[in-house]
Amino acid sequence: MSKIKVAFAGMTHLGLNSAVAAALRGHDVVGFDPDTDLVAQLSAGNLPVVEPGLDEALKKQGICIRFSSSIDEMRRADVVYVAPDVPTDDDGNADLSPVRKLIDIVSGEMKSDATLVVLSQVQPGFSRSLGVDISRLYYQVETLVFGQALDRALNPERYIIGCAEPADPLPGAYLALLESYECPILPMRYESAELAKIAINCCLVGSVTVANTLAELCEASGADWTEIVPALRLDRRIGKYSYIAAGLGISGGNLERDLAAVVKMGAANGTDTSVIKAAISNSKYRKNWALSQLHESVLHTEGDPKIGVLGVAYKKDTASVKNSPSVGLLSALTDFAVTAYDPAAQLPERLMSDVDLAVTPLSVADGADVVVVMTPWDEFREISLSEMASRMKGRLLLDPFGVLDGAAAQAAGLDYLTLGVSPDN
Amino acid sequence: MLIGGGGFVGKELSRELTEAGAEVVSLTSKDIDLTADGAAGALAERLSPGDAVVLLAAITPDKGRGVEPFICNINIASNVAKALSECEPSHVVYVSSDAVYPMDETLVNEASPAEPVDLYGAMHISRELIIKSEINAPVAVLRPTLIFGADDTHNSYGPNRLRRMARDKEKITLFGGGEETRDHIYVSDVARLIVEVLTHRSAGLLNVATGQSIAFHDLAHKVAGLFDADIEVELTERQNPITHRSFDVTDLHAAFPTFGFTPLDKGLEIAHSGMMDGAE
Repeated sequence: MSKIKVAFAGMTHLGLNSAVAAALRGHDVVGFDPDTDLVAQLSAGNLPVVEPGLDEALKKQGICIRFSSSIDEMRRADVVYVAPDVPTDDDGNADLSPVRKLIDIVSGEMKSDATLVVLSQVQPGFSRSLGVDISRLYYQVETLVFGQALDRALNPERYIIGCAEPADPLPGAYLALLESYECPILPMRYESAELAKIAINCCLVGSVTVANTLAELCEASGADWTEIVPALRLDRRIGKYSYIAAGLGISGGNLERDLAAVVKMGAANGTDTSVIKAAISNSKYRKNWALSQLHESVLHTEGDPKIGVLGVAYKKDTASVKNSPSVGLLSALTDFAVTAYDPAAQLPERLMSDVDLAVTPLSVADGADVVVVMTPWDEFREISLSEMASRMKGRLLLDPFGVLDGAAAQAAGLDYLTLGVSPDN
Repeated sequence: MLIGGGGFVGKELSRELTEAGAEVVSLTSKDIDLTADGAAGALAERLSPGDAVVLLAAITPDKGRGVEPFICNINIASNVAKALSECEPSHVVYVSSDAVYPMDETLVNEASPAEPVDLYGAMHISRELIIKSEINAPVAVLRPTLIFGADDTHNSYGPNRLRRMARDKEKITLFGGGEETRDHIYVSDVARLIVEVLTHRSAGLLNVATGQSIAFHDLAHKVAGLFDADIEVELTERQNPITHRSFDVTDLHAAFPTFGFTPLDKGLEIAHSGMMDGAE
């Protein structure tokens, strides 16, 4: 296999994980970012993101990756990726200015025969409207999953490549780079590739929304969603990796961004997007499950209720709190005494004065009327439920994701509630 | 200033506000006929700039749901809006109704479309728009679900009527099997929420419901259980399709996180005692 000289511009979550994966695949990689402080931190091994395996990968013997703020590095690369994270606002609207800015910086400095690849997720129509030489411009669909970013970048299921002219062969160095990952390569028009990414996420959202709707029905009807899920996974039309575990709506920002994009495109084109709007509405509704339970059972009983919250991140193995259900819950509880713990995520600044931080998971149980597990971190599975029960004042344990052992919780004398299961089961 | 302060909710609100230390002026239909021409001027004379105003006055559906009460109710809103547009109130609370929502909207929140199916619902949505468009002050629109309490003079299908049936006939007769689910809120909870809205000078839309719905059949047994005598719960042949109504009260929790509802059993018990003590 030939060693390709690859540059990644934009050293946030997507760019960093993709660059490390390319280095692990044996390529000669430069991670470029105009932010000199960030580059200094990366060069010193201080990573700005939490991802399983990322720290270890950078320390691996023989890995060929360096970080730089020097634009000169671009002139050596055969393939230049532009890969900054795309920020979104609370309504899921994407801000593509960081992508444009980096394209402006790198496109004038590349070798004349180098390939420019946009890896950041962009809106349909973006690539063709960029105004750069489209004969060497490609859009590569990223399918980053927070908490699995490195693994997915290293072992992609397939490559979806947006091209100006899909019938033309891919440039040699770029093709060799992609082939080194040993997965199917699907060239298509820019517009198709841009919409393919949104289509993937809409399919995921569809599964999530159906699962959450039916899980709620289970809670009301005596059924148990966890018993139904394995049956669904064995159906080939649904699949064993489908997103059908019960959860608290959609979080993280990426799926929300694509839903907002579809609604916007639909409005501009007169297309019915009511199914997407329903998913957005259901997500908002389901995110409030824990708060509703607290209002029903704890917050208005006598005395000042004390609430313990396990987990702040929007999901396990990440420090991201974007649209995190836990942060939503904590924001709604600022009038109450709340203690929270997370192994990686920080509380947003605005909540610092309202929420006490615990240094161990079990400390949140001290004197608590209720403990709520809001992020399914694996380390919470190790918590002793009998010790938790003995440290709590009240009996209620809310575990929406089913991280803890419900039977053991009940044996410890706790009232255990989880998503998709009737409290009477 | 409570416009329509002599009614079921108005009296309770007046009590709550007085207890909270507010200076309360309560206007009833005996003071001013708000449906009449010239009522706006008479109302304006009683208002002062800076007043907080709660509009409760309405011809209620038990007095008819036809065109006549619709027009009278619009006239009330029109006169009130005219008076308020001249008096610079500090805050206006309009007590509307969940009748603005269609019955096929089974889980209602503030984003649910208001598509009334009768003139009573159309009246409330029209009055909301009149108040919001004509008055230059923060406006809170509250849409309560079914309200119960001992002093209720209306006889709509709910705890109050079921209780009266039990008292008068030792029997509660339900429509069909009483399968329909509804959200019932105790009157003092409605009054306390309005006090919260006034205290915070809140603006915007809020449904006033508990988030807990119950089937009429189960409700009937709860009401019957409060009597010493054995009360029969009689089911009848169903005449109309079964409909349900539940509320997602997330916005209410977000607006007033420390507000707690009176549990249904407790509310029913208080209402029952109130009736037995001769409140109705």
